[in-house]
Amino acid sequence: MLVIYLPLLTLLAFSFNNSLSVGFPWRGFTLRWWEKFFSDPVALTAVKNSFVAAVAVAVVATLMGLGVAFPLVRRGFRGQNVLLSSLLVPIAVPSLLIGISLFSLLRVQLGLELSLFTLAIGHILVALPYSSLVLMARLIGFDRALEEAAQDLGATGFTTFRKITFPIIRPGIFVSMFLAFIISLEDAVIANFLVGSDLTVPMYVFGQLRRWEGLNTAMALSSFMAVIALAVACLFLIRAIGPRLRRPSKD
Amino acid sequence: MKLELKDDTTRRERELNIFRKMKKLVYYLRLFPAVFWLLVFLVLPLSVMFIYSFWTMVRFELIPTWTLKNYLDIFVKAEGLYIKLLFKSIGMATAVTLGAIALAYPAAYYISTRGGKYKYVLLNLIMTPYLVSWVITIFGWRMVIGYTGLVNTVLMSVGLISEPMRLWGNWMTVIFVLIVSWTGWLVLPIFVSLEKIDRTLLEAGEDLGASPLENFRKITLPLSMPGLLIATFFVLIPTFGEFVAPLLAGGTSGAMIGTAIEATFKRMHNWPFGSAMAFLLVAIALITSLVLIRKAGLRTLMESL
Repeated sequence: MLVIYLPLLTLLAFSFNNSLSVGFPWRGFTLRWWEKFFSDPVALTAVKNSFVAAVAVAVVATLMGLGVAFPLVRRGFRGQNVLLSSLLVPIAVPSLLIGISLFSLLRVQLGLELSLFTLAIGHILVALPYSSLVLMARLIGFDRALEEAAQDLGATGFTTFRKITFPIIRPGIFVSMFLAFIISLEDAVIANFLVGSDLTVPMYVFGQLRRWEGLNTAMALSSFMAVIALAVACLFLIRAIGPRLRRPSKD
Repeated sequence: MKLELKDDTTRRERELNIFRKMKKLVYYLRLFPAVFWLLVFLVLPLSVMFIYSFWTMVRFELIPTWTLKNYLDIFVKAEGLYIKLLFKSIGMATAVTLGAIALAYPAAYYISTRGGKYKYVLLNLIMTPYLVSWVITIFGWRMVIGYTGLVNTVLMSVGLISEPMRLWGNWMTVIFVLIVSWTGWLVLPIFVSLEKIDRTLLEAGEDLGASPLENFRKITLPLSMPGLLIATFFVLIPTFGEFVAPLLAGGTSGAMIGTAIEATFKRMHNWPFGSAMAFLLVAIALITSLVLIRKAGLRTLMESL
Protein backbone atom coordinates (compact mmCIF):
# COMPACT_ATOMS: atom_id res chain seq x y z
CA MET A 1 0.00 0.00 0.00
CA LEU A 2 2.81 2.31 0.84
CA VAL A 3 4.10 1.74 -2.67
CA ILE A 4 2.24 4.92 -3.51
CA TYR A 5 4.85 6.87 -1.63
CA LEU A 6 7.65 5.37 -3.69
CA PRO A 7 7.58 7.81 -6.61
CA LEU A 8 7.39 10.76 -4.26
CA LEU A 9 10.35 9.64 -2.20
CA THR A 10 12.36 8.84 -5.28
CA LEU A 11 11.68 12.26 -6.73
CA LEU A 12 12.81 13.85 -3.53
CA ALA A 13 15.98 11.84 -3.41
CA PHE A 14 16.90 12.63 -6.99
CA SER A 15 16.33 16.31 -6.65
CA PHE A 16 19.59 16.34 -4.75
CA ASN A 17 21.43 14.53 -7.49
CA ASN A 18 24.27 16.55 -8.93
CA SER A 19 23.71 15.44 -12.46
CA LEU A 20 22.19 16.94 -15.55
CA SER A 21 20.35 13.84 -16.55
CA VAL A 22 17.36 12.56 -14.75
CA GLY A 23 18.01 9.47 -12.70
CA PHE A 24 21.03 7.38 -12.01
CA PRO A 25 23.95 7.42 -11.95
CA TRP A 26 24.35 9.42 -8.83
CA ARG A 27 26.85 12.17 -9.15
CA GLY A 28 27.00 13.72 -5.78
CA PHE A 29 24.77 15.59 -3.45
CA THR A 30 23.83 19.09 -4.42
CA LEU A 31 21.39 21.79 -3.57
CA ARG A 32 21.91 23.37 -6.95
CA TRP A 33 18.52 22.49 -8.40
CA TRP A 34 16.72 23.63 -5.31
CA GLU A 35 18.44 26.99 -5.54
CA LYS A 36 17.44 27.21 -9.14
CA PHE A 37 13.88 26.42 -8.25
CA PHE A 38 13.57 28.98 -5.50
CA SER A 39 15.05 31.69 -7.66
CA ASP A 40 12.97 30.91 -10.70
CA PRO A 41 10.11 33.40 -10.79
CA VAL A 42 8.09 31.38 -13.25
CA ALA A 43 8.15 28.28 -11.13
CA LEU A 44 7.38 30.16 -7.93
CA THR A 45 4.49 31.97 -9.55
CA ALA A 46 3.17 28.63 -10.69
CA VAL A 47 3.15 27.39 -7.13
CA LYS A 48 1.42 30.48 -5.88
CA ASN A 49 -1.14 30.28 -8.67
CA SER A 50 -1.90 26.67 -7.97
CA PHE A 51 -2.55 27.27 -4.32
CA VAL A 52 -4.56 30.42 -4.80
CA ALA A 53 -6.76 28.73 -7.38
CA ALA A 54 -7.15 25.62 -5.25
CA VAL A 55 -8.27 27.59 -2.21
CA ALA A 56 -10.73 29.63 -4.25
CA VAL A 57 -12.15 26.52 -5.85
CA ALA A 58 -12.46 24.78 -2.50
CA VAL A 59 -14.41 27.63 -0.97
CA VAL A 60 -16.71 28.35 -3.90
CA ALA A 61 -17.43 24.71 -4.67
CA THR A 62 -18.27 24.02 -1.04
CA LEU A 63 -20.57 27.02 -0.81
CA MET A 64 -22.38 26.00 -3.95
CA GLY A 65 -22.51 22.44 -2.74
CA LEU A 66 -24.15 23.62 0.46
CA GLY A 67 -26.64 25.54 -1.61
CA VAL A 68 -27.76 22.44 -3.44
CA ALA A 69 -27.36 19.93 -0.65
CA PHE A 70 -29.92 21.43 1.70
CA PRO A 71 -32.79 21.75 -0.75
CA LEU A 72 -32.09 18.39 -2.36
CA VAL A 73 -32.01 16.49 0.87
CA ARG A 74 -34.57 18.33 2.90
CA ARG A 75 -37.19 19.70 0.57
CA GLY A 76 -38.07 18.05 -2.65
CA PHE A 77 -38.80 20.25 -5.58
CA ARG A 78 -39.71 19.87 -9.19
CA GLY A 79 -36.75 18.95 -11.29
CA GLN A 80 -34.68 17.69 -8.41
CA ASN A 81 -33.79 14.52 -10.28
CA VAL A 82 -32.66 16.56 -13.23
CA LEU A 83 -30.41 18.57 -10.96
CA LEU A 84 -29.01 15.47 -9.34
CA SER A 85 -28.24 13.86 -12.68
CA SER A 86 -26.64 17.04 -14.01
CA LEU A 87 -24.46 17.11 -10.93
CA LEU A 88 -23.12 13.70 -11.84
CA VAL A 89 -22.38 14.61 -15.44
CA PRO A 90 -18.99 16.26 -14.81
CA ILE A 91 -17.78 12.98 -13.37
CA ALA A 92 -18.93 10.94 -16.33
CA VAL A 93 -17.62 13.29 -18.98
CA PRO A 94 -13.87 13.16 -19.55
CA SER A 95 -12.10 16.28 -18.33
CA LEU A 96 -10.74 16.53 -21.81
CA LEU A 97 -14.13 17.33 -23.22
CA ILE A 98 -15.01 19.69 -20.41
CA GLY A 99 -11.74 21.52 -20.94
CA ILE A 100 -12.26 21.83 -24.65
CA SER A 101 -15.87 22.92 -24.43
CA LEU A 102 -15.09 25.58 -21.85
CA PHE A 103 -12.19 26.74 -23.95
CA SER A 104 -14.52 27.07 -26.86
CA LEU A 105 -17.08 29.00 -24.87
CA LEU A 106 -14.80 31.29 -22.94
CA ARG A 107 -12.02 31.96 -25.36
CA VAL A 108 -13.40 31.46 -28.76
CA GLN A 109 -16.93 32.69 -28.34
CA LEU A 110 -16.76 35.13 -25.50
CA GLY A 111 -13.26 36.24 -26.31
CA LEU A 112 -12.11 36.19 -22.71
CA GLU A 113 -8.44 36.15 -21.91
CA LEU A 114 -7.41 32.84 -20.48
CA SER A 115 -6.20 33.20 -16.96
CA LEU A 116 -6.36 31.81 -13.49
CA PHE A 117 -9.94 32.99 -13.40
CA THR A 118 -11.03 30.88 -16.36
CA LEU A 119 -9.16 27.99 -14.84
CA ALA A 120 -11.07 28.38 -11.61
CA ILE A 121 -14.33 28.25 -13.52
CA GLY A 122 -13.44 24.88 -14.94
CA HIS A 123 -12.16 23.51 -11.66
CA ILE A 124 -15.22 24.60 -9.75
CA LEU A 125 -17.35 22.82 -12.30
CA VAL A 126 -15.45 19.58 -11.86
CA ALA A 127 -15.30 19.83 -8.08
CA LEU A 128 -18.96 20.74 -7.63
CA PRO A 129 -20.35 17.18 -7.95
CA TYR A 130 -17.94 15.87 -5.37
CA SER A 131 -18.66 18.69 -2.94
CA SER A 132 -22.39 18.33 -3.33
CA LEU A 133 -22.35 14.58 -2.88
CA VAL A 134 -20.23 14.77 0.23
CA LEU A 135 -22.46 17.39 1.81
CA MET A 136 -25.64 15.59 0.86
CA ALA A 137 -24.31 12.42 2.38
CA ARG A 138 -23.62 14.31 5.57
CA LEU A 139 -27.10 15.81 5.62
CA ILE A 140 -28.91 12.56 5.05
CA GLY A 141 -27.69 11.15 8.31
CA PHE A 142 -28.69 14.31 10.14
CA ASP A 143 -31.26 13.98 12.84
CA ARG A 144 -33.63 16.91 12.44
CA ALA A 145 -35.03 16.33 15.86
CA LEU A 146 -31.95 18.04 17.22
CA GLU A 147 -32.80 21.20 15.35
CA GLU A 148 -36.40 21.04 16.42
CA ALA A 149 -35.34 20.59 20.03
CA ALA A 150 -33.21 23.68 19.82
CA GLN A 151 -36.06 25.69 18.39
CA ASP A 152 -38.40 24.44 21.07
CA LEU A 153 -35.92 25.78 23.57
CA GLY A 154 -36.24 29.17 21.98
CA ALA A 155 -33.35 29.48 19.54
CA THR A 156 -33.82 31.61 16.47
CA GLY A 157 -33.14 30.25 13.02
CA PHE A 158 -29.64 31.67 12.88
CA THR A 159 -28.63 30.46 16.34
CA THR A 160 -29.90 27.00 15.56
CA PHE A 161 -27.72 26.96 12.50
CA ARG A 162 -24.69 28.20 14.36
CA LYS A 163 -24.85 25.90 17.33
CA ILE A 164 -26.45 22.76 16.02
CA THR A 165 -26.51 22.41 12.25
CA PHE A 166 -23.09 23.81 11.54
CA PRO A 167 -21.07 21.71 14.02
CA ILE A 168 -22.72 18.57 12.77
CA ILE A 169 -22.07 19.22 9.11
CA ARG A 170 -18.64 20.69 9.80
CA PRO A 171 -16.75 17.46 9.03
CA GLY A 172 -18.60 17.31 5.74
CA ILE A 173 -17.57 20.87 4.97
CA PHE A 174 -13.95 20.04 5.69
CA VAL A 175 -14.04 16.95 3.51
CA SER A 176 -15.70 18.89 0.72
CA MET A 177 -13.08 21.63 0.88
CA PHE A 178 -10.23 19.15 1.07
CA LEU A 179 -11.57 17.20 -1.88
CA ALA A 180 -12.12 20.30 -4.03
CA PHE A 181 -8.68 21.58 -3.04
CA ILE A 182 -7.02 18.38 -4.18
CA ILE A 183 -9.01 18.23 -7.38
CA SER A 184 -7.98 21.74 -8.30
CA LEU A 185 -4.35 21.46 -7.22
CA GLU A 186 -3.65 18.30 -9.12
CA ASP A 187 -5.54 18.84 -12.33
CA ALA A 188 -3.47 19.10 -15.47
CA VAL A 189 -6.02 18.40 -18.17
CA ILE A 190 -8.38 21.32 -17.70
CA ALA A 191 -5.43 23.54 -16.92
CA ASN A 192 -3.99 22.56 -20.27
CA PHE A 193 -6.93 24.21 -21.99
CA LEU A 194 -8.01 26.97 -19.70
CA VAL A 195 -4.94 28.57 -18.25
CA GLY A 196 -3.34 31.19 -20.38
CA SER A 197 -0.09 32.78 -19.44
CA ASP A 198 -0.67 32.11 -15.77
CA LEU A 199 0.81 28.76 -15.00
CA THR A 200 -0.06 26.20 -12.44
CA VAL A 201 2.29 23.60 -11.06
CA PRO A 202 0.98 20.67 -13.10
CA MET A 203 1.09 22.74 -16.27
CA TYR A 204 4.63 23.84 -15.58
CA VAL A 205 5.88 20.31 -15.03
CA PHE A 206 3.86 19.05 -17.97
CA GLY A 207 5.42 21.65 -20.21
CA GLN A 208 8.91 20.86 -19.03
CA LEU A 209 8.43 17.16 -19.46
CA ARG A 210 7.38 17.64 -23.03
CA ARG A 211 10.22 19.89 -23.89
CA TRP A 212 13.25 18.48 -22.11
CA GLU A 213 14.77 21.72 -20.99
CA GLY A 214 15.34 22.83 -17.44
CA LEU A 215 14.09 19.45 -16.43
CA ASN A 216 15.87 19.64 -13.17
CA THR A 217 14.01 22.72 -12.04
CA ALA A 218 10.85 20.78 -12.64
CA MET A 219 12.36 18.07 -10.50
CA ALA A 220 12.92 20.40 -7.62
CA LEU A 221 9.41 21.77 -8.01
CA SER A 222 7.92 18.33 -8.07
CA SER A 223 9.90 17.35 -5.07
CA PHE A 224 8.67 20.46 -3.34
CA MET A 225 5.08 19.36 -3.86
CA ALA A 226 6.05 15.87 -2.80
CA VAL A 227 7.58 17.28 0.36
CA ILE A 228 4.37 19.06 1.18
CA ALA A 229 2.44 15.86 0.74
CA LEU A 230 4.93 13.96 2.87
CA ALA A 231 4.80 16.64 5.53
CA VAL A 232 1.03 16.36 5.70
CA ALA A 233 1.35 12.60 5.94
CA CYS A 234 3.84 12.92 8.78
CA LEU A 235 1.50 15.29 10.50
CA PHE A 236 -1.20 12.67 10.46
CA LEU A 237 1.18 10.06 11.74
CA ILE A 238 2.34 12.23 14.60
CA ARG A 239 -1.18 13.08 15.60
CA ALA A 240 -2.02 9.43 15.77
CA ILE A 241 1.05 8.00 17.39
CA GLY A 242 1.92 11.04 19.47
CA PRO A 243 -0.47 10.43 22.35
CA ARG A 244 0.94 6.95 22.68
CA LEU A 245 4.44 8.28 23.11
CA ARG A 246 3.37 10.72 25.75
CA ARG A 247 1.78 8.14 27.98
CA PRO A 248 4.94 6.60 29.51
CA SER A 249 5.91 9.96 31.01
CA LYS A 250 2.55 10.15 32.72
CA ASP A 251 3.30 7.05 34.71
CA MET B 1 -69.97 43.51 11.71
CA LYS B 2 -69.58 39.93 10.59
CA LEU B 3 -68.81 40.97 7.03
CA GLU B 4 -65.99 43.27 8.20
CA LEU B 5 -64.25 40.46 10.07
CA LYS B 6 -64.37 38.26 6.99
CA ASP B 7 -62.62 40.93 4.87
CA ASP B 8 -59.90 41.34 7.47
CA THR B 9 -59.04 37.68 7.62
CA THR B 10 -58.89 37.26 3.87
CA ARG B 11 -56.51 40.18 3.49
CA ARG B 12 -54.26 38.88 6.19
CA GLU B 13 -54.37 35.45 4.65
CA ARG B 14 -53.35 36.92 1.34
CA GLU B 15 -50.50 38.83 2.91
CA LEU B 16 -49.35 35.72 4.69
CA ASN B 17 -49.45 33.77 1.48
CA ILE B 18 -47.31 36.29 -0.33
CA PHE B 19 -44.92 36.34 2.59
CA ARG B 20 -44.70 32.56 2.55
CA LYS B 21 -44.08 32.50 -1.15
CA MET B 22 -41.31 35.01 -0.81
CA LYS B 23 -39.71 33.00 1.96
CA LYS B 24 -39.90 29.95 -0.24
CA LEU B 25 -38.26 31.83 -3.09
CA VAL B 26 -35.48 33.08 -0.86
CA TYR B 27 -34.92 29.56 0.34
CA TYR B 28 -34.62 28.13 -3.12
CA LEU B 29 -32.41 31.02 -4.14
CA ARG B 30 -29.45 29.19 -2.67
CA LEU B 31 -29.70 26.70 -5.49
CA PHE B 32 -29.10 29.47 -7.95
CA PRO B 33 -25.27 29.62 -8.03
CA ALA B 34 -24.84 25.93 -8.65
CA VAL B 35 -27.63 25.75 -11.19
CA PHE B 36 -26.28 28.77 -13.00
CA TRP B 37 -22.82 27.27 -13.02
CA LEU B 38 -24.03 23.95 -14.35
CA LEU B 39 -26.19 25.51 -17.02
CA VAL B 40 -23.73 28.07 -18.31
CA PHE B 41 -20.49 26.17 -17.94
CA LEU B 42 -21.56 22.60 -18.45
CA VAL B 43 -24.75 22.28 -20.42
CA LEU B 44 -24.20 25.20 -22.76
CA PRO B 45 -20.61 24.49 -23.86
CA LEU B 46 -21.22 20.77 -24.17
CA SER B 47 -24.31 21.36 -26.28
CA VAL B 48 -22.30 23.62 -28.54
CA MET B 49 -19.59 21.00 -28.89
CA PHE B 50 -22.25 18.45 -29.65
CA ILE B 51 -23.60 20.60 -32.43
CA TYR B 52 -20.06 21.07 -33.74
CA SER B 53 -19.71 17.34 -34.08
CA PHE B 54 -22.21 17.52 -36.90
CA TRP B 55 -20.48 20.31 -38.76
CA THR B 56 -17.25 20.41 -40.75
CA MET B 57 -14.06 22.31 -40.30
CA VAL B 58 -12.43 23.82 -43.34
CA ARG B 59 -9.23 25.77 -42.86
CA PHE B 60 -9.93 26.86 -39.30
CA GLU B 61 -13.51 27.81 -40.06
CA LEU B 62 -16.50 25.90 -38.84
CA ILE B 63 -19.16 25.30 -41.43
CA PRO B 64 -22.65 24.18 -40.41
CA THR B 65 -22.92 21.30 -42.79
CA TRP B 66 -25.09 19.09 -40.57
CA THR B 67 -23.65 15.76 -41.45
CA LEU B 68 -23.03 12.43 -39.78
CA LYS B 69 -19.71 12.13 -41.53
CA ASN B 70 -17.65 12.79 -38.42
CA TYR B 71 -19.22 9.94 -36.55
CA LEU B 72 -18.84 7.60 -39.49
CA ASP B 73 -15.25 8.71 -39.88
CA ILE B 74 -14.43 7.30 -36.49
CA PHE B 75 -15.02 3.88 -37.89
CA VAL B 76 -13.55 4.51 -41.28
CA LYS B 77 -10.65 6.92 -40.98
CA ALA B 78 -7.07 5.70 -41.17
CA GLU B 79 -8.14 2.12 -41.76
CA GLY B 80 -10.17 1.88 -38.62
CA LEU B 81 -7.34 3.15 -36.46
CA TYR B 82 -9.61 5.23 -34.32
CA ILE B 83 -12.16 2.56 -33.64
CA LYS B 84 -9.38 0.13 -32.76
CA LEU B 85 -7.96 2.74 -30.43
CA LEU B 86 -11.35 3.14 -28.83
CA PHE B 87 -11.70 -0.54 -28.12
CA LYS B 88 -8.16 -0.71 -26.88
CA SER B 89 -8.80 2.16 -24.50
CA ILE B 90 -11.94 0.54 -23.14
CA GLY B 91 -10.00 -2.66 -22.67
CA MET B 92 -7.20 -0.89 -20.88
CA ALA B 93 -9.62 1.00 -18.71
CA THR B 94 -11.30 -2.25 -17.72
CA ALA B 95 -7.95 -3.81 -16.90
CA VAL B 96 -7.07 -0.82 -14.76
CA THR B 97 -10.39 -0.98 -12.95
CA LEU B 98 -10.09 -4.68 -12.21
CA GLY B 99 -6.51 -4.30 -11.06
CA ALA B 100 -7.23 -1.33 -8.86
CA ILE B 101 -10.22 -3.01 -7.23
CA ALA B 102 -8.23 -6.18 -6.70
CA LEU B 103 -5.67 -4.17 -4.77
CA ALA B 104 -8.01 -1.80 -3.03
CA TYR B 105 -10.44 -4.38 -1.68
CA PRO B 106 -7.95 -6.27 0.50
CA ALA B 107 -6.52 -3.00 1.75
CA ALA B 108 -9.96 -1.66 2.64
CA TYR B 109 -10.86 -4.98 4.23
CA TYR B 110 -7.73 -4.94 6.32
CA ILE B 111 -8.27 -1.42 7.53
CA SER B 112 -11.89 -2.08 8.29
CA THR B 113 -11.34 -5.25 10.26
CA ARG B 114 -7.92 -4.79 11.84
CA GLY B 115 -7.59 -1.03 11.83
CA GLY B 116 -8.81 -0.42 15.31
CA LYS B 117 -8.15 3.13 16.35
CA TYR B 118 -5.78 3.71 13.47
CA LYS B 119 -8.50 3.31 10.87
CA TYR B 120 -8.83 6.94 9.93
CA VAL B 121 -5.14 7.61 10.18
CA LEU B 122 -4.46 4.89 7.66
CA LEU B 123 -7.14 6.26 5.38
CA ASN B 124 -5.66 9.73 5.59
CA LEU B 125 -2.23 8.37 4.84
CA ILE B 126 -3.56 6.70 1.77
CA MET B 127 -5.21 9.88 0.53
CA THR B 128 -2.34 12.33 1.13
CA PRO B 129 -0.22 11.40 -1.89
CA TYR B 130 -3.04 12.75 -4.02
CA LEU B 131 -2.06 16.26 -3.01
CA VAL B 132 0.70 15.85 -5.52
CA SER B 133 -0.40 16.43 -9.05
CA TRP B 134 -1.01 13.57 -11.47
CA VAL B 135 1.74 14.79 -13.76
CA ILE B 136 4.24 14.89 -10.94
CA THR B 137 3.28 11.42 -9.81
CA ILE B 138 3.91 10.03 -13.27
CA PHE B 139 7.21 11.87 -13.31
CA GLY B 140 8.08 10.16 -10.06
CA TRP B 141 7.18 6.76 -11.41
CA ARG B 142 9.45 7.37 -14.33
CA MET B 143 12.26 7.71 -11.83
CA VAL B 144 11.34 4.41 -10.30
CA ILE B 145 10.75 2.13 -13.27
CA GLY B 146 12.41 4.09 -16.02
CA TYR B 147 15.54 3.12 -17.89
CA THR B 148 17.81 4.85 -15.40
CA GLY B 149 15.44 4.43 -12.54
CA LEU B 150 15.47 2.94 -9.09
CA VAL B 151 14.27 -0.56 -9.93
CA ASN B 152 16.69 -1.07 -12.77
CA THR B 153 19.66 0.25 -10.84
CA VAL B 154 18.94 -1.84 -7.79
CA LEU B 155 18.46 -5.00 -9.82
CA MET B 156 21.63 -4.37 -11.76
CA SER B 157 23.76 -3.70 -8.73
CA VAL B 158 22.51 -6.90 -7.14
CA GLY B 159 23.35 -8.67 -10.35
CA LEU B 160 19.96 -10.06 -11.28
CA ILE B 161 19.99 -8.41 -14.68
CA SER B 162 22.88 -7.29 -16.83
CA GLU B 163 21.10 -4.57 -18.70
CA PRO B 164 18.38 -2.16 -17.67
CA MET B 165 14.91 -3.36 -18.57
CA ARG B 166 12.78 -1.22 -20.78
CA LEU B 167 9.85 -0.95 -18.46
CA TRP B 168 8.81 2.51 -19.48
CA GLY B 169 7.05 3.73 -22.58
CA ASN B 170 4.56 1.06 -23.47
CA TRP B 171 0.97 0.13 -22.76
CA MET B 172 1.86 -1.98 -19.76
CA THR B 173 3.46 1.03 -18.15
CA VAL B 174 0.28 2.98 -18.58
CA ILE B 175 -1.86 0.26 -17.06
CA PHE B 176 0.57 -0.22 -14.20
CA VAL B 177 0.79 3.46 -13.33
CA LEU B 178 -2.95 3.89 -13.58
CA ILE B 179 -3.69 0.90 -11.38
CA VAL B 180 -1.30 2.02 -8.68
CA SER B 181 -2.65 5.52 -8.77
CA TRP B 182 -6.33 4.64 -8.66
CA THR B 183 -6.05 2.03 -5.92
CA GLY B 184 -5.71 4.62 -3.18
CA TRP B 185 -8.75 6.52 -4.40
CA LEU B 186 -10.83 3.35 -4.36
CA VAL B 187 -9.99 2.26 -0.86
CA LEU B 188 -12.32 4.88 0.53
CA PRO B 189 -15.64 3.81 -1.06
CA ILE B 190 -14.93 0.15 -0.46
CA PHE B 191 -13.99 0.90 3.14
CA VAL B 192 -17.22 2.78 3.70
CA SER B 193 -19.41 -0.01 2.44
CA LEU B 194 -17.47 -2.59 4.43
CA GLU B 195 -17.88 -0.54 7.57
CA LYS B 196 -21.61 -0.44 7.11
CA ILE B 197 -21.97 -4.18 7.26
CA ASP B 198 -23.68 -5.23 10.42
CA ARG B 199 -21.17 -7.32 12.37
CA THR B 200 -23.93 -9.24 14.05
CA LEU B 201 -24.75 -10.78 10.69
CA LEU B 202 -21.27 -12.21 10.58
CA GLU B 203 -21.61 -13.49 14.12
CA ALA B 204 -24.88 -15.14 13.17
CA GLY B 205 -23.13 -16.82 10.28
CA GLU B 206 -20.47 -18.16 12.61
CA ASP B 207 -23.07 -19.41 15.02
CA LEU B 208 -24.71 -21.31 12.21
CA GLY B 209 -21.44 -23.07 11.54
CA ALA B 210 -19.97 -21.17 8.60
CA SER B 211 -16.22 -21.02 8.11
CA PRO B 212 -14.61 -17.56 7.81
CA LEU B 213 -14.28 -18.06 4.07
CA GLU B 214 -17.95 -18.93 3.73
CA ASN B 215 -18.86 -15.99 5.86
CA PHE B 216 -16.95 -13.74 3.55
CA ARG B 217 -18.35 -15.23 0.40
CA LYS B 218 -21.95 -15.27 1.47
CA ILE B 219 -22.27 -12.24 3.68
CA THR B 220 -19.46 -9.72 3.37
CA LEU B 221 -18.94 -9.88 -0.36
CA PRO B 222 -22.57 -9.48 -1.47
CA LEU B 223 -23.19 -6.72 1.05
CA SER B 224 -20.14 -4.78 -0.09
CA MET B 225 -21.23 -5.03 -3.71
CA PRO B 226 -22.82 -1.56 -3.91
CA GLY B 227 -19.56 0.00 -2.74
CA LEU B 228 -17.68 -2.06 -5.29
CA LEU B 229 -19.94 -0.91 -8.09
CA ILE B 230 -19.53 2.70 -7.10
CA ALA B 231 -15.77 2.21 -6.98
CA THR B 232 -15.96 0.80 -10.48
CA PHE B 233 -17.87 3.89 -11.57
CA PHE B 234 -15.24 6.20 -10.12
CA VAL B 235 -12.40 4.48 -11.90
CA LEU B 236 -13.75 3.15 -15.15
CA ILE B 237 -15.42 6.26 -16.52
CA PRO B 238 -12.62 8.75 -16.00
CA THR B 239 -10.06 6.27 -17.26
CA PHE B 240 -11.90 6.04 -20.57
CA GLY B 241 -10.85 9.57 -21.31
CA GLU B 242 -7.43 9.47 -19.68
CA PHE B 243 -4.77 11.12 -21.72
CA VAL B 244 -2.02 12.34 -19.41
CA ALA B 245 -0.77 8.88 -18.55
CA PRO B 246 -0.68 7.55 -22.12
CA LEU B 247 0.94 10.76 -23.29
CA LEU B 248 3.73 10.79 -20.76
CA ALA B 249 4.24 7.12 -20.13
CA GLY B 250 2.79 5.28 -23.06
CA GLY B 251 5.19 5.76 -25.89
CA THR B 252 3.87 4.37 -29.13
CA SER B 253 2.10 1.28 -27.97
CA GLY B 254 0.47 2.96 -25.02
CA ALA B 255 -1.69 5.50 -26.76
CA MET B 256 -5.32 5.73 -25.81
CA ILE B 257 -8.31 7.39 -27.33
CA GLY B 258 -7.73 10.36 -25.06
CA THR B 259 -4.41 11.13 -26.73
CA ALA B 260 -6.05 10.91 -30.14
CA ILE B 261 -8.81 13.31 -29.16
CA GLU B 262 -6.35 15.78 -27.71
CA ALA B 263 -4.19 15.62 -30.81
CA THR B 264 -7.21 16.11 -33.04
CA PHE B 265 -8.13 19.27 -31.23
CA LYS B 266 -4.76 20.77 -30.63
CA ARG B 267 -2.82 19.79 -33.66
CA MET B 268 -5.15 18.81 -36.41
CA HIS B 269 -7.60 21.53 -35.54
CA ASN B 270 -10.39 19.25 -36.69
CA TRP B 271 -12.88 20.18 -34.02
CA PRO B 272 -15.90 18.35 -35.44
CA PHE B 273 -14.06 15.07 -35.66
CA GLY B 274 -12.54 15.38 -32.21
CA SER B 275 -15.90 16.36 -30.84
CA ALA B 276 -17.55 13.35 -32.46
CA MET B 277 -15.03 11.02 -30.87
CA ALA B 278 -15.41 12.68 -27.52
CA PHE B 279 -19.17 12.38 -27.56
CA LEU B 280 -19.07 8.78 -28.65
CA LEU B 281 -16.91 8.21 -25.61
CA VAL B 282 -19.35 10.14 -23.46
CA ALA B 283 -22.22 8.03 -24.75
CA ILE B 284 -20.41 4.86 -23.81
CA ALA B 285 -19.52 6.36 -20.45
CA LEU B 286 -23.09 7.45 -19.74
CA ILE B 287 -24.55 4.06 -20.59
CA THR B 288 -22.00 2.36 -18.35
CA SER B 289 -22.67 4.85 -15.56
CA LEU B 290 -26.39 4.31 -15.72
CA VAL B 291 -25.97 0.58 -15.48
CA LEU B 292 -23.60 0.86 -12.55
CA ILE B 293 -25.53 3.45 -10.59
CA ARG B 294 -28.84 1.74 -11.13
CA LYS B 295 -27.41 -1.39 -9.62
CA ALA B 296 -25.71 0.27 -6.71
CA GLY B 297 -28.16 2.98 -5.82
CA LEU B 298 -27.61 6.66 -5.40
CA ARG B 299 -27.37 6.51 -1.65
CA THR B 300 -24.29 4.36 -1.77
CA LEU B 301 -22.75 6.86 -4.13
CA MET B 302 -23.18 9.62 -1.61
CA GLU B 303 -22.11 7.55 1.33
CA SER B 304 -18.87 6.52 -0.27
CA LEU B 305 -17.75 10.11 -0.44
